[in-house]
Amino acid sequence: MKFWTTRIVSFIIGIGGCFVIDLLSHRFVGSYEQRLVVLAGLYVTLAVSLNLINGITGQFSIGHAAFYQIGAYTAGYVSRTYITMGGHNPPAIPWLLGMMVLGAIAASIAGFVVGLPSLRLRGDYLAIVTLGFGEIIRILVQNTDALGGSYALDKIPKIQPIWLVWLLAIVCIAVCRNLIKTARGLTFLAVREDEVASSAMGVDVTSVKVTAFIIGSAFAGAAGALLAHYEGLITPTTFTMDVSFIILTMVVLGGTGSITGSAVAAIFLSYLPEYLRGLKTSAGEPLVVSGAAVIAGLAAVVVGVAFIKRILDSGRGTPRSRALKYLGIAVGVVILEPIISFALHPIKPLSSMSIEAGQLRMVIFAATLIVLMLLRPEGVFAHHEFSWSWVRKLFGKRPVPQAEVAA
Amino acid sequence: MSLLELQQATIRFGGLVAVNAVSFALNEGDLFGLIGPNGAGKTTCFNMITGVYEPTSGKIIFQGKDISGTPPSKIAKLGISRTFQNIRLFNSLSVLENVVVGGFLRHRTGLMSALAYLSGSIAETALLKEKALELLEELDLLEVANVRSADLPYGRQRRLEIARAMATQPKLLLLDEPAAGMNPQEKQELQDMVRKIRDNHGMTVLLIEHDMRFVMGLCERIVVLDHGEEIAQGPPETIRKDPKVIAAYLGQAV
Ligand SMILES: Nc1ncnc2c1ncn2[C@@H]1O[C@H](COP(=O)(O)OP(=O)(O)O)[C@@H](O)[C@H]1O
Ligand SMILES: [Mg+2]
Repeated sequence: MKFWTTRIVSFIIGIGGCFVIDLLSHRFVGSYEQRLVVLAGLYVTLAVSLNLINGITGQFSIGHAAFYQIGAYTAGYVSRTYITMGGHNPPAIPWLLGMMVLGAIAASIAGFVVGLPSLRLRGDYLAIVTLGFGEIIRILVQNTDALGGSYALDKIPKIQPIWLVWLLAIVCIAVCRNLIKTARGLTFLAVREDEVASSAMGVDVTSVKVTAFIIGSAFAGAAGALLAHYEGLITPTTFTMDVSFIILTMVVLGGTGSITGSAVAAIFLSYLPEYLRGLKTSAGEPLVVSGAAVIAGLAAVVVGVAFIKRILDSGRGTPRSRALKYLGIAVGVVILEPIISFALHPIKPLSSMSIEAGQLRMVIFAATLIVLMLLRPEGVFAHHEFSWSWVRKLFGKRPVPQAEVAA
Repeated sequence: MSLLELQQATIRFGGLVAVNAVSFALNEGDLFGLIGPNGAGKTTCFNMITGVYEPTSGKIIFQGKDISGTPPSKIAKLGISRTFQNIRLFNSLSVLENVVVGGFLRHRTGLMSALAYLSGSIAETALLKEKALELLEELDLLEVANVRSADLPYGRQRRLEIARAMATQPKLLLLDEPAAGMNPQEKQELQDMVRKIRDNHGMTVLLIEHDMRFVMGLCERIVVLDHGEEIAQGPPETIRKDPKVIAAYLGQAV
């Protein structure tokens, strides 16, 4: 009984949450921010579905944008042909759901095809194949006039339910979580850990890998269908290698294998560049900095990271003394920046060069990633998942450490 | 009819004949030893039996059927399970989860049930965990059930590999140097455990081991390999006195 109560409650919370997001973003923010909310939701789906292939099953696939693109173009093309060109007028949401299924099927067929080499190729080799596949799809589309060629596939009917975007993300998270909670899901993790041992234990490694590819790409395809109908027009440049890399970065940054990590990193990384783009001074002008300040900032961060890394590696001190040290380093970095900046000031080209902070966003983005990976190579969440007992642990009493039992 | 029979099993790696025309047969309920100096081809025999390698020539008959060339996962389903000489646990999984993966082989619910977290899948997972806990108790690993398997000490990792293999409910259990790296007391306990596995679960056991006292004290029949060739076969007493075996081990106390 408790089981069903929990399920029904989380179901209602999930759907309710989607509508709340939808309502809030229609009520309180402009269309630009609304688009960010949509993109964040799509990126959550993309990152969590790639995490199923990469993190949970251990297949180093890095061309995820290809499945996204296949879903987007399939759904977009069919919608445009049937509704815009054909003049039909089906009910919007059921039609969109149908298109999501169609996009998912198209992408999962591609996922199956790409999954096949994973049976023979490992690690770097598989990465190259998947990346190559992504580029092939993009270039094929670019050279197909029926799909808009290198311009755009436009006149896709706009259907823009923000709640559905987030519902897809939640379903994707739920499916992955369900899987790893069951014995079947453990066989996916087993394949990641050791293929030889898995097959000796009767795990059908082939079917596990292909299944992961099919499910993972299906979700990306459904996300693509939503994107196509949200934007109304899609271009091949939306699906370049960069997008694949950003999705991969989300998975790695969140902690490979952690669903929670992928989801959180997806929201953070899809928002960060936009936040940086909008950096303003208090007077509302675009923030302008000198070349010297930028270099000083980078140098100060490097010094700060080096110190934090030393503290992390030494592993000494109580949590409080370590927190104090981190605080000290943060303050030090802030003080160091103007000092170095001042020292660099006499160098003419550096001080006279002025850069809008918004243009530095990719530099800051990259620097953030480098810093995070240096300090926590296993990813922010490592292999941990969000759970209520974990929250309780965080705020409540400390449990008996397991390590003592293990000794 | 014997449970497992190797008939002239031979495998070549390029120019190297790693196992050359080896034949032996195990009856149901046997406690069988496979010994020989380093590089004799023992692990390679296991790899042929479990489908990792296909024999270049010869046959491997299990329950009356030739299984040579069958993929490893199918062989596991037929009822042969193994441990590895260089331990191969699912490192980041817990001890319990390792054993559950072994048990999953006998599952019945489908993928959709797992993705939607339906009751069939939940019940199955709970059942597999329960069975896994029983096995852990039997192999004295219950108290570390939730520890990451990579964090276990060596001896316990070896025992966990046995538990995981047993979870597949095999008819034939292959143990590749199960006592390696164990202290004398652990070895003694392991001997008793292996004997119990055979007696209580009715599993036939074929084991590779370097420690002569361990093998001689445990196994009822032994086959000896040297440079891929089978040089002797019989009960421990005859093996111990066999001049070829003594020569192969070059004066080591056999
Ligand atoms: N995959 C392989 N490729 C080439 N040579 C191999 C392979 N596997 C085993 N061998 C060789 O076969 C011989 C027997 O090895 P092995 O069966 O591991 O010996 P052991 O009796 O110590 O377990 C060794 O010479 C080894 O180098
Ligand atoms: Mg060996």
